[in-house]
Amino acid sequence: MFDLVIQTTVNAVIASSFTALFAVGLVLIFGVAKVVNFAHGELYMVGAFSTWYLYSEMGLPFSVAALCAILVSTLVGIFMETVLFRWKRGDELGGLILSVGMLMILQVAVIYLFGQGLMKNVVSPLKDSWQVFGLPNVVVPYQRLLVLVVAVSALAALWFLLQKTRIGWALRACADDPMAAMLQGISINRFALIAIGISAALAGAGGAVMAPLVQIDPDMGHTVIINGLIVIIVGGVGSISGAVVAAVFFSFFHTFITTFTGGIYADIFVMLFMLFILVVKPTGIMGRHEKV
Amino acid sequence: MKVTFDRRKFLAGSASILAGTTFGIALPTSARAGEKIVKVGAITPLTGDAAGWGVPAFQGYKLWADLTNEAGGIKVGDDTYMVEVEVWDDEFLASKALTGAKKLVGDDHVDLVTLLCSTPVVAVQPYLTEQKVLSATTCTTDLSPDSSYLLSVGEVHPFYIPPSVNWLAKNRPELKTVAILSQDDELGVPSIATYALAFQQNNIETVHTELFPLATLDFAPVISAALAKNPDILCFDTAYPDFMNLMIEQAYQQGFKGQMMSVTLDNYPQLIEKTSKEFMEGFVFLFPDFDDPRLMEADINFANPGVFYARYNEAFPGAWTSQSWTYAAVLEIWKKGVEAAGSVNSTDVYAALQAMDKPPHIFGDAKWWGADVFGVNNALIGRWPVVQLQDGKAKIVEMGDVAGWLAENEAVVLETLREVGMLPN
Repeated sequence: MFDLVIQTTVNAVIASSFTALFAVGLVLIFGVAKVVNFAHGELYMVGAFSTWYLYSEMGLPFSVAALCAILVSTLVGIFMETVLFRWKRGDELGGLILSVGMLMILQVAVIYLFGQGLMKNVVSPLKDSWQVFGLPNVVVPYQRLLVLVVAVSALAALWFLLQKTRIGWALRACADDPMAAMLQGISINRFALIAIGISAALAGAGGAVMAPLVQIDPDMGHTVIINGLIVIIVGGVGSISGAVVAAVFFSFFHTFITTFTGGIYADIFVMLFMLFILVVKPTGIMGRHEKV
Repeated sequence: MKVTFDRRKFLAGSASILAGTTFGIALPTSARAGEKIVKVGAITPLTGDAAGWGVPAFQGYKLWADLTNEAGGIKVGDDTYMVEVEVWDDEFLASKALTGAKKLVGDDHVDLVTLLCSTPVVAVQPYLTEQKVLSATTCTTDLSPDSSYLLSVGEVHPFYIPPSVNWLAKNRPELKTVAILSQDDELGVPSIATYALAFQQNNIETVHTELFPLATLDFAPVISAALAKNPDILCFDTAYPDFMNLMIEQAYQQGFKGQMMSVTLDNYPQLIEKTSKEFMEGFVFLFPDFDDPRLMEADINFANPGVFYARYNEAFPGAWTSQSWTYAAVLEIWKKGVEAAGSVNSTDVYAALQAMDKPPHIFGDAKWWGADVFGVNNALIGRWPVVQLQDGKAKIVEMGDVAGWLAENEAVVLETLREVGMLPN
């Protein structure tokens, strides 16, 4: 039992890191560009598909394929901001509808480009596993450790950017009070573009490192975006640290219930738990206290 | 030279392309003078969770039609019929399957509709029965008294499972415990129940059962929970190809060393690549490669399985799965029914198939079954192979006697399926 608890904790830590990576991107784009980006899951999907194509089909090294996948996702994100969201600035419903449209376009695009139906296999470049602290029944595959390392590194870099650089200050200013930011000479369009670029890159990075671990198909963003929206609402809409905390709550709760009770119950109990948090604290865990 | 492109030229060009395309589509593709056309339709998931089965099923379906046409078509009396194939992507959803059935039968006038299984099959039955059009499913539990034109003549899921468990228990008597995992749907539920029964009959204790939701993203906790019970056998049941793939990889990465088994083992070369040949060695499942020497023997009712396998791999490299031949196997039986009936009419073909002393099941001798259980005698029960991975290649190790097992265990397996709600009381 002790081994299983430790193994489940390890699984939950890995799941938390990915969920946080994904949700923080969603918060960032909402905070700065004021868009509830339903196509964020598809940016993750683009990252996974690009990795599969470049690594498994074209034979590029995994690291190169992953970097290219991040670039592709970033470019798609920049395209979305430049061509779609910018023209609906201030119209949150309009932005949301555009993002739903973009979601469908991206799904059809990958079906058109890569076909449909058959499995997209990505052989993990890191096939072996680490025996955690020598415990006999506690292992973590190196590919999952890579997810953890990439997620923590990306989130740390984002924290540094937001807290310690002029770009970060400007991004936070745009999120806190766009009018005041504009009066200070900050271009909302320019920083919305930066925010969406970063957000898309995070999603692409998630897709790239998760590609060997998940089912790669055009719908793969659906469950992820739903989980991401739950996390950012519970964390406090607009709060990056809230999203990280909520991601940890969400993933630990989900992973432990899946392991000890079963996956069917996990979805139900996680929703009830998240609902409980919102009842106790309607603004979310860190809503109002901290914004992008 | 300066090339100009104005609106008038654009419209003229577009109209030409449109006219040409329409003319091309309108022309029959395979019929020649004096030949008749018979259309068959596949309603299959080309997208969604079950697409890993649906796409290869359609590929095999189309290939069977091409091979049959190349061999001269189907002789029906003095006529020769060329086979044309229509397809509809139902995404494994009942509502879309019904739309597809109406399109294939109403617009395309197909004489046979082949489907995967479960709710899409059940949803189209009232319409297809009213239209008196033959259809086929891979799940015998889809049969009912109201679906008199529905056949279970290829696969007989889940009744073909127990012989594989019996074979494993006989050959590896040291295995005493099993963990069974599958998605929570109408494929997973009856399959888990049937496996559990077969394990129980062989004194193998089921120490862990998990029906995970279709939306499962991360299989690490699913496998961790199973491995915590130290099972000798990990049974992946009838999990969808992508789920199976991810679970097997997780089992490998979490250090499982025991026996594995399942109904299907799709894309196993890729799984070997993702894990190792040693890890996959001995995996027991139910779907052979068609270059297996056993399938070249005289009792197999499938024309040139080796040629089918070679042509399939040539056309769709790396795509061979359990379902690559199952729709084609239905066509093979249907063709024999058409030839016996002297007609492509569904009622005639059905009557001809039912009248046969030895219905031509793909794996040899079989008999019609199901009247006492489903109200229709439309399941073809005979033998089904037990397949094992040996040295990285699927090999038939036994032709399991499904009919024999069912004769001895009919009451208990039906009771088991009733208990999980997969058969009416």
